[in-house]
Amino acid sequence: MLFPKQMSEVELIVPSKDLVAVTRALSGYGVFHQVDSANLGLEGLAQNTWSEKAGAFSALERRIQTIMQIVGLAEEYPARPGMDTMVDLDATRPVVDRIDDDVKGVSDQLSGEKKRLELLESQLRQLEPIAEVNVEVGALNKSPFMHSILGIVPSANITRLRTSLLRVPHVFFTLREDPQKPVVWILGPKSNFDVLERAAKSAYLNPLSLPEEFNGTPEQITAMLRKEIETSKQKIAALEADLAKKGASYKSELEKLLWDVHISRVMADAIVRFGQLRHTYVVVGWVPTEDLGDLTARLKEASREILIETMETSRSGHHANIPVALTNNKWLKPIQELVTTFGRPSYGELDPTLLIALTFPILYGAMFGDLGQGLILILVGILAHNRIFMKGLQGLGLLLVYCGFFASIFGYLYGSIFGFEGHLIEEYLHFHFEPTWMSPLENILTILGLAIDAGIVILFFGYLLGLFNNIRSRDWAHFWFGHTGIVALIFYFSFLWILDGLLGDTPIAPKVAAAISELPLPFSSLVLVFGGLVMFSGFFRNMVEGHTLIEGKGFSGFAMFLVQSFMDLFETTISMLSNTLSFVRVGAFAVAHGGLSLAIFSLAGEEPGLRFWITILIGNIFIIGFEGLIVYIQTMRLHYYEILGKFFHGGGMQFEPLKLNPSQEEAKP
Amino acid sequence: MASGVSGYAAISTRVRAMYSDLLSPQEMTRLSDSPDFSALVSGLKATPYGKYLSGLKDNELTPRRVILQIRNRLSDSYSSVVQQAPEQTRSLVRQLFRYFEVGNLKAVLRSIQTVSSWNSDLAPWDRVREVLFPFGSFSTIPAQAMVESGSVAAAVELLRGSPYEATMSFAMKRYSTEQNLFPLEVALDLNYWRRLWAEAKKLSGKDREMGLKIIGSLLDLNNLMWVIRYKIYHELSEEELINYTLPFGYHVRDEDVRAIAAGADIASIISRVYPSITHVNELLEHPESGLPKLEHLLKQQVMQRCVAAFIGDPFHIGIPLAYLLLSDFEIQDLVVLIEAKSSRLKDEDFRPLLLKTTLAH
Repeated sequence: MLFPKQMSEVELIVPSKDLVAVTRALSGYGVFHQVDSANLGLEGLAQNTWSEKAGAFSALERRIQTIMQIVGLAEEYPARPGMDTMVDLDATRPVVDRIDDDVKGVSDQLSGEKKRLELLESQLRQLEPIAEVNVEVGALNKSPFMHSILGIVPSANITRLRTSLLRVPHVFFTLREDPQKPVVWILGPKSNFDVLERAAKSAYLNPLSLPEEFNGTPEQITAMLRKEIETSKQKIAALEADLAKKGASYKSELEKLLWDVHISRVMADAIVRFGQLRHTYVVVGWVPTEDLGDLTARLKEASREILIETMETSRSGHHANIPVALTNNKWLKPIQELVTTFGRPSYGELDPTLLIALTFPILYGAMFGDLGQGLILILVGILAHNRIFMKGLQGLGLLLVYCGFFASIFGYLYGSIFGFEGHLIEEYLHFHFEPTWMSPLENILTILGLAIDAGIVILFFGYLLGLFNNIRSRDWAHFWFGHTGIVALIFYFSFLWILDGLLGDTPIAPKVAAAISELPLPFSSLVLVFGGLVMFSGFFRNMVEGHTLIEGKGFSGFAMFLVQSFMDLFETTISMLSNTLSFVRVGAFAVAHGGLSLAIFSLAGEEPGLRFWITILIGNIFIIGFEGLIVYIQTMRLHYYEILGKFFHGGGMQFEPLKLNPSQEEAKP
Repeated sequence: MASGVSGYAAISTRVRAMYSDLLSPQEMTRLSDSPDFSALVSGLKATPYGKYLSGLKDNELTPRRVILQIRNRLSDSYSSVVQQAPEQTRSLVRQLFRYFEVGNLKAVLRSIQTVSSWNSDLAPWDRVREVLFPFGSFSTIPAQAMVESGSVAAAVELLRGSPYEATMSFAMKRYSTEQNLFPLEVALDLNYWRRLWAEAKKLSGKDREMGLKIIGSLLDLNNLMWVIRYKIYHELSEEELINYTLPFGYHVRDEDVRAIAAGADIASIISRVYPSITHVNELLEHPESGLPKLEHLLKQQVMQRCVAAFIGDPFHIGIPLAYLLLSDFEIQDLVVLIEAKSSRLKDEDFRPLLLKTTLAH
């Protein structure tokens, strides 16, 4: 739960004779993430001869898909397919050829007839707008003084084409208003022939030329075309019926062929990425350790002589190449989505989902503390999660439940129920309900100070987790001198001493800072020493990592280094201040929640009549919807900016196991 | 339909977090101070681009590979924004992202035309895929099959069913007579920007205002550079220039583009539209060096507009769009740096080309 699933690296040496059976075992269960072993730099690898085969399977699969499309069959994979072996190309190809030849003859005739119909209809459409013009169509191009262009132009270009012709006299007709292929006719003086042609060409006008055999007026030609279109449609219907009949007769054969060739293609694609030795293949990949036992047993079943070497991967060190499979816990899914929106944990890194599952609802609840409204949030969350109400929020349903739960608890602590607090509860709801802890409205400065205290504790925790991650990844440069390293942490201690000095006399002074200031430590020296170390932390990081210590040369380079170092110190100090004070919003929103409720009460008046209760009802809906959302944004902001940034880097590679059928759930033997 | 505060709650927070991860001018200066390519890569590894480079072995650290890897970050940013953007704005973000698909499509078509002159043992696709933008699952073009198809006509046939089918079918008529990719590329560009503008105009309220402002500024840059380049380099006629440009934008009016097409003084038009850009005449005197400089200045205008989008009301699509454009400009800077360091260019040859550092000064 605290880390991505433990992964094991698997290296297999597979005898050539068992290649297909092993590939089937690897790709059939959705647990093996393949690494391209063809490019691992292993010595003695021969040219992998499967590329050609994979290409042939792929081409054959496309052919079958095309045939199915032609005969009107949907591409469907069996829901629980039998795991047949890889098909023999030489045996399968003639079967596909036979069906293809049978279908192709009819399909070629059909496509030829369809093209002819399209041409006839296009010619008809060209003529329709000028059907009533009593002129010989052929005469358009025979005028000695006028230049005429008739053609199809992309509809988006028409306006621009007209604009481009403004400088020459012309007549512009849109003969057919069609969103796809409008027909236009441009007529201008022959002397402007070049301008007209350039404009038409640059507007992508494709000129139409009616065949010379069409003589007569548009009306006569139209009648002839209609007759030919009718004949063509009849031919098409007959050919389509023929194809449908062939589809029905080949249905089961084609579906089986498609599945067989599909799994053969998937397996061949996988094999292409195996490293090929003389008599064996090298396969490398990753498997969740919990699935390793099952997979090993299946591999042994598939090949007795297979050599399996597995290495459990330590979480320390660098893990950029290890795929990350997160633990799928349905109760934590919405929290996991919040985390992966920020970044996917890398393999060695702490998965912050569990931590966020605690801090997110608690901080939300502290800002939105109201027993009644919290219970409503729980109810809405349950209804949304079960797709009974507000189905669009299904993904967030559980998060609403968790946030609502803590909002209720804080509501109980704050003594707030549907915005009613203190005497208002007795006056209008007729029962006694006191804050079991404190009312934010009556203890504004105290709660603001407490919020800062909570922030300091959370930030400390963030620093510690950052250190923990650095130790695990053995990133010593950042462990000591990173922005959440030891030096920065001690400087933060000293910074809190300064903060206590600044705020110590005010009611919002954080108690944690005060307690730290009481420690018998030489803070004034610590500030100077660790401030200096923070200032030059980039220099020290470079030293630990063996990089160039100071970028840039000469005096100007050194001066730039000093300026940058000072800016680093300044930025770190400002960040510490803003990160710490940022948590004041938790208290501020708790106060604002009470204030917003008071505003609703002042709108409702004092008489508990119908108007009063309607206003309270609408006010509560508004608070839950509007303030609930704002608090959600603020909670998310606190996590993304102040908390996760302290220790979480992300950048993990997603675990993508081999699967035979992309839509198929993990197949079980 | 989620909009305003509710629609932008998550994305606004996320984008601001990502925005803070963009390199500062100081970091960019530090990177450009790197003595050589390997020092630059080491420097990049200490930035948010580090995680995209960490998987590369030393022998894979070629300039081309590093560029491909750092572009993955922009691709991830787009994916993230597309997933989280309010539903009504997603098609705009997707269309903006298609800019890189159009680029890939052009690269594929160019590769098909020039493949016969390549002197390499590598298969054409292996060579081409290194220069394509990592568009991932968003891609609608079968790039590999197109490269392997062997001819432009066959490759364009493979675009059936893609968003480019209609545009290419019109433009292919010209390609088949002229045997030149220019009409195909212009058609793709015009179609891309028209769709993008139409998507921005579909929005309402603040989304529409900010969408048109950001997209319009980018369109201004392109429209101006098109008309100037086509006029100076290709010596196209007025009617061709009008047909190869677009009648909309944010600052640049259609009258401005048409005036340039008709032969008006380019410098005075640019100076009127962008008062902060002076001495345009000097730049146009030597177009080979001047036009890139002018484009650089216009890009900085767009950057300023993007930075300004982060001020004020945060609940609109302007902020994600601005972040994506700023990310793209940052990567353009890094590409300049990578190419400069790998070919050992002198400081004065590449530093003025950096958008971020010269803007800061």
